[in-house]
Amino acid sequence: MKGVSKMAKVTREMVEKSGVNVEQLVELLVKNAAAELTTYYYYTILRVNLIGLEGEGIKEIAETARIEDRNHFEAIVPRIYELGGKLPENMKNFHDISACPPASLPKDPTDIKAMLTVLVNAERCAVRGYTHICNLTAGKDHRTYDLALSILNEEIEHESWFSEFLGEGPSGHFLRRGETSPFVSKFLK
Amino acid sequence: MEKRRFRKKELEQYNGKDGASAFISYKGKIYDVSSSFLWQNGNHQVLHNAGVDLTHSLGQAPHGEELLERFPVVGTLQEN
Repeated sequence: MKGVSKMAKVTREMVEKSGVNVEQLVELLVKNAAAELTTYYYYTILRVNLIGLEGEGIKEIAETARIEDRNHFEAIVPRIYELGGKLPENMKNFHDISACPPASLPKDPTDIKAMLTVLVNAERCAVRGYTHICNLTAGKDHRTYDLALSILNEEIEHESWFSEFLGEGPSGHFLRRGETSPFVSKFLK
Repeated sequence: MEKRRFRKKELEQYNGKDGASAFISYKGKIYDVSSSFLWQNGNHQVLHNAGVDLTHSLGQAPHGEELLERFPVVGTLQEN
């Protein structure tokens, strides 16, 4: 990687020595950071359109997922820089390299099932992405693993919330009580 | 209609780069993944490239083969 900062030299060296391809890992982290920030944006539009008797019932969890996705972005960014990477300077490029497709508003926003399908698919993409990063870093890059696992825990809960509303079965989860990001908050302090 | 049969060398041309379509092979079938947001420029989640047989890679992926079913099958991979 050209122009790698010497700031966290040993951090990067330890990860390289563990056998992880750091350039690939950083690229994956950037793509997932893009997915989080773009999802935050698209969820804003979804949340605004969750109205009416059915929509209002989903608005609260859509908002929690939206805020937690933004938190995930904030938590990932320092790790990208620690490993010698950086965010793209161009926001449009950043959007287009996202690890997940845009969570676009359905053609009919009053179709609550279509809205929930967009939401649950976005969460499922995230669950796959962080499982992938956990698999790549387990027992090797402890800090990235811890971060990816913390985010994964929250993405799994997001998936379960929307899945339940789609009638796919009970998850046993409750809505957040109190503050958001119970798993990721340690990376935000 | 009979599906086209691809040799590995032919498949390599469909790598999704410079305007080429992005085809991948899985268990002998060739899928056209060009329309996927997650296969832009013939690359998928950093680690996988189009134009190759991904049969062995999918086993380690965080998803199953059901995700391939949404893409059209454009042919079969010919054994060398």
